[in-house]
Amino acid sequence: MSYRHRSVMCALVFIFATWPVAMTWAQTPVFEIEIREHLFFPAELVIPANQKVKLIIYNRDPTPEEFESYELNREKVIVGNSQGIVFIGPLKPGEYPFFGEFNLKTALGKIIAK
Amino acid sequence: MTDAVIIVLREVLEAMLLICLLMASSTAMGVRVKWLVASLVIGMIGASLYGVNLETVSMAFAGFGQELVNSGLLIAIALLLAAHNFLATRKMIDSDYTTPVLLLQFLCIGIVSMAVTREGAEIYLYLYAYGVLADNMNSVFSGGAIGMGVGLSFGTFFYYGLSALKSRRRLLVCCVLSLVLAAGMMGQAAFYLSQADILPSQFTLWDTSGVVAESSLIGELLHAAIGYEASPTLTQAFLYLGSILISLLAMLLAWWIARQRVAVKKESC
Repeated sequence: MSYRHRSVMCALVFIFATWPVAMTWAQTPVFEIEIREHLFFPAELVIPANQKVKLIIYNRDPTPEEFESYELNREKVIVGNSQGIVFIGPLKPGEYPFFGEFNLKTALGKIIAK
Repeated sequence: MTDAVIIVLREVLEAMLLICLLMASSTAMGVRVKWLVASLVIGMIGASLYGVNLETVSMAFAGFGQELVNSGLLIAIALLLAAHNFLATRKMIDSDYTTPVLLLQFLCIGIVSMAVTREGAEIYLYLYAYGVLADNMNSVFSGGAIGMGVGLSFGTFFYYGLSALKSRRRLLVCCVLSLVLAAGMMGQAAFYLSQADILPSQFTLWDTSGVVAESSLIGELLHAAIGYEASPTLTQAFLYLGSILISLLAMLLAWWIARQRVAVKKESC
């Protein structure tokens, strides 16, 4: 086998070997949370640990809400009847509380990374 | 009502620290605090515009307009604070130095109006939706007024504390404070950018929320003052240190120039 063939073979082997890794790399898991009547649904969301996750937050209320979490280092205002995207993680396994800053008493929830 | 107190206080506190710090350093540099009214007016106009258009802004840039605007404002404020440190250090070393009044006023107006825009937009949004639209004016606005009052009195206390220092020492304290404030802002800009997936997502380096929780009063104060972060990431720490480095370089440069001027003056005497 010539050098050229060998390098092509090496490249192919490399591509096939890393294919599954590259696929998971490209596909960031998506999770959704809804805000209704100043409450989060679900209030507890389980996500995979050690991986970046895309979180879509739908605000079904007419009022704005600020999704905030000290543990996740996240903060985003979502105006009424709209949605917002927040990337979180990778997280070590554990619980990460979040809250709606405009409704501190009711809008409470947590992300559980497993 | 307590929600309104907390929301308004949190936002006011951060802006208040900046305003009082710049007021104290301006007077130490022999510049009158004329910039305050202009920067508050521009800031409030900016805040209402940002608040009204938040939906449009949020939807822009693939849904990450808010993160881009906020981090842009934070980085700009941090850089202007470094420029302020340059002027303050020159005055600190060379007491005969006449501070360029227009430049300093421009810096102060820039810093304060951008800070008020960012913090004020949230207050505007909250007061408008939960006070005006929800027909709950009394409770929300009185809560907001209490929050504002606590923030203002804290600011007054802070300002007079700084003013009690002699001007050289006051400038030094202001420089150190502005250095850490700017660094905290850079760190915050980093988390906005990773929230939008523009900067890489990373594991956090450590977690000190067991010692000082960010949600506690001390945590909030530390967050406003030095950008305290219980669980930072590597990029955040990197930008935090980078900002400190920029400010220090600006101050070193000012120190070097001022020293040379002083030496020239001595020779000519």
